[in-house]
Amino acid sequence: MSERIVVDPLTRIEGHLRIEADIENGKIKDAYSSGTMVRGIETIVKDRDPRDAWVFVGRVCGVCTSIHSLCSVRAVENAFDIVIPPNAEMVRNIMTAVLYMHDHVVHFYQLHALDWVDVVSALKADPAEASLLAQKLSPWPKSSTGYFTALKERLTKFVGSGQLGIFANGYWGHPAYKLTPEQNLIAVAHYLEALEWQKEIVKVHAVFGGKNPHPNYLVGGMPCSIDLNEANAINTERLDLVKQKLQEAKTFIDQVYIPDLLMIANVYKDEWSKLGGGVKNYLAYGDFPMYEYGETDNYKMPRGIVLDRDLSKVHPVDANSPEEIKEYIYHSWYNYTQGDKAGLHPYDGETNLNYTGPRPPYTHLNVEDKYSWIKTPRWKEEPMEVGPLARMIVAYAAGKEPQKSLIDDTLKQLDLPAEALFSTLGRTAARGLETKLTADWALEFYDRLIKNLENGDSRMVNHYMWESEAWPKHAQGVGLTEAPRGALAHFIVIENNKVKNYQMVVPTTWNASPRDEIGKLSAYESALIGTPIHDPKQPLEILRTIHSFDPCLACAVHLYDEEGKYVHQMDTF
Amino acid sequence: MNKDILVLGVGNLLLKDEGVGIHVIRALEKEELPPNVSLMDGGTGGLHLISWIQDYNRIIMVDATLDHNPPGTIRLIRPRYATDFPPLMSAHEVGLRDMIEAMILTEKLPDIQLIVVSAEDISEVGMELTPAVEAAVPEVVEMVKQIIQ
Repeated sequence: MSERIVVDPLTRIEGHLRIEADIENGKIKDAYSSGTMVRGIETIVKDRDPRDAWVFVGRVCGVCTSIHSLCSVRAVENAFDIVIPPNAEMVRNIMTAVLYMHDHVVHFYQLHALDWVDVVSALKADPAEASLLAQKLSPWPKSSTGYFTALKERLTKFVGSGQLGIFANGYWGHPAYKLTPEQNLIAVAHYLEALEWQKEIVKVHAVFGGKNPHPNYLVGGMPCSIDLNEANAINTERLDLVKQKLQEAKTFIDQVYIPDLLMIANVYKDEWSKLGGGVKNYLAYGDFPMYEYGETDNYKMPRGIVLDRDLSKVHPVDANSPEEIKEYIYHSWYNYTQGDKAGLHPYDGETNLNYTGPRPPYTHLNVEDKYSWIKTPRWKEEPMEVGPLARMIVAYAAGKEPQKSLIDDTLKQLDLPAEALFSTLGRTAARGLETKLTADWALEFYDRLIKNLENGDSRMVNHYMWESEAWPKHAQGVGLTEAPRGALAHFIVIENNKVKNYQMVVPTTWNASPRDEIGKLSAYESALIGTPIHDPKQPLEILRTIHSFDPCLACAVHLYDEEGKYVHQMDTF
Repeated sequence: MNKDILVLGVGNLLLKDEGVGIHVIRALEKEELPPNVSLMDGGTGGLHLISWIQDYNRIIMVDATLDHNPPGTIRLIRPRYATDFPPLMSAHEVGLRDMIEAMILTEKLPDIQLIVVSAEDISEVGMELTPAVEAAVPEVVEMVKQIIQ
């Protein structure tokens, strides 16, 4: 007899996600992921000028804001065959790299670390020993005994106040926490330092994008005027600020994030490199072009698909093909005019709401029927994992450097085989390694930009096809990006100079979607199967695996009852 | 030196009444305000916002809430902790609470006054406010102007 547990809302994520899991003999036997995503974005942008769509889609999420706008302008550029100038490509790359660094560091410390780090245990640490250990792990200067003593006092005050949700409501003392008090203290110190650091890096978005959050983009280039010697433009002084922020970010990532990641991985690797693998297929659209975006060979992150964990082959992906990517709604609260078993390519996507779930407050979802607001995307009928792990696996299988060497070195350092990649630990480690790479690349993009400018190329926009008189009566295009959380696609259909249809297939749709008609699980559900649950009342293990995907449903519409309360059986933190 | 007063509108502009904070900022942009006051459209910014708002002495935050009150009800609250925030900031709740806690943890929490407007519809996509909430916008503008005087 299995027991059904419910985690709702699953917290320390962006947005609203509910997990139901059947537990039998102490292990998860089956799992159901139900979430809410923005739906009906096409009603907002329909009949608008396609050049304006980025403004609106950028608003679906404050966390991933710039990447949705980027994806939108790429969709329009794809529809009209617009090639943007090299400077604009580098500025976009820098913006995206900054988003990665901010997002991944905040995810690691603020959203994921407390699954592994016991805050209360840190209060028992010996600051002198923590200092010795920290100095052994990293040259990061904030590691003296005095620093850790003061930090411990601060932390005692915070925990004692009982007012801070993050420190008050944890599963502290859960036996699955394995770090020593000193390791916990180091991690908590860096939790606080990451909060300070993240304030600085986003300033780069404001330099190039005019503002943050929701920075500005432009079809055909970037809306920033760079002139090294002009007081009112983005000049040498502003660019120096960017360089300084990028260098500080690299130092923080190399000296704080990566050493902490390895410290934690070393403690948990035996168990968590074997759990949480899930689906065996990985999809990446690739990103960070060094030359023209249309030439996928020059991407820092390669495009492709790895099937069945076969690292010897990378399959091509064509998002424009009606035979490859389709969205299904068999278990989702929608209708299709062709019936609920149909799969629609996003160009033909429909968003007809059809809520058939139980009336809140309810105990369990009817998982035999429809049970989520998230549609189920498939590539040639197969479920895909997307995100940092997918990107690293595709790069690894493609033999791409520096990814391949970095992965091999890290595996060697942790004394783990390549199969360890396919796990909760692998996912969390892939995110860290990728952050290190984007920190390096951001400086490379910066240097490329400066060199271009110094060589006299100041072009930031290509006006080709800007005027709508030149547009064909019908056009359609896809914008592809790698958002920090994974493969992101926007599909636009333009008719008579206006948006006729607009669909977004976001990373969390791939990962968090319900199973398909034939019962094939998507990434979250699949990754939970077989995970031991020590205490069903404190399902820390579920949080570890789900958080390793970095769920983002901030673009979600809520799932609350009419009294404005969460509908839930169990509060997590 | 710290800047003085920031009026910060937050919310998701695409979810009807959820975006009322942004609508208020847009209305305030048309008003004459003293030079010590800045306006900011915070969108669904969450942690991103800290970098900009910790520099101010006082923050007047405008946001939507879904509570028992009739749509368009305006309330002024002075939250001291993240848990003092009213229920349901919907889509951006996590980010905003995290932001307040982060400012407490980094020991730099400006004085915050929060104006919340009770929403009617935040479950559908749309950029317009419902009539009752729309009618509340000029009142919120007046309230902000009184507070900053």
